[in-house]
Amino acid sequence: MPTGGRKPTSASLSEILDGLLEAGVDFILVGGLAAVIQGAPVTTMDVDVVHSRSPENIARLISFLKSVDAVHRRLDDRLIEPTERDLSGKGHVLLTTRIGPLDILAVIEGGKSYKELLDHTVEIDFRGHSLRVLDLKTLIELKKTSTDPKDKQRLPVLKETLRQLEEKYGHGEDKEDSNNE
Amino acid sequence: MSEETKIDKQSDVDRGLVAMFLRMSPEERLRANDNAFRTILELRDAYRRQKANERKPK
Repeated sequence: MPTGGRKPTSASLSEILDGLLEAGVDFILVGGLAAVIQGAPVTTMDVDVVHSRSPENIARLISFLKSVDAVHRRLDDRLIEPTERDLSGKGHVLLTTRIGPLDILAVIEGGKSYKELLDHTVEIDFRGHSLRVLDLKTLIELKKTSTDPKDKQRLPVLKETLRQLEEKYGHGEDKEDSNNE
Repeated sequence: MSEETKIDKQSDVDRGLVAMFLRMSPEERLRANDNAFRTILELRDAYRRQKANERKPK
């Protein structure tokens, strides 16, 4: 994994989530960790989030990123800090922080942004904060079109997780499961 | 049985492992992933150290 010349010193993906929430950043957790939280037995090595690109939110995000020594993940050893401009665009910003890798995505598959994804999230009470997570059904729909081999490999596990959730709680009630636990 | 369910049954998914994870709370699932993440980093470091030692002239 490219590290941008820096290695996490106390790796903890939970701490990244905690830090973002403490900093008041508006984001939706997507990717592998969203699947983990909803019960999929997969392991992921980074945090993927889709952020709100309002100027106020980007300011909060930049402040958090400084606090965790975030730099762009690169193949060389140059340490380049993310800027407001990086986070305002439509691209992916792939970072290394001292507590683990963090991918900040303006949009995901199908060009969907924070606002468009909000209706497809579940809210989970996490360490006294409300954590917005992309729901498993939408995650599966998006991964179906992905060309990433890792996504293709995970898809049967995600489908089985959703199948068991629906068997247990009925269709469309996996949101309740996530909130009540 | 839906078409999707059939596909799931045909795949090599460990259904018991899924059931086990579903019995955990979201916080416990995150902790399990963090533990796996840290273990993988430790093992990768150990592997790198081993490789570096092998390359050292005796």
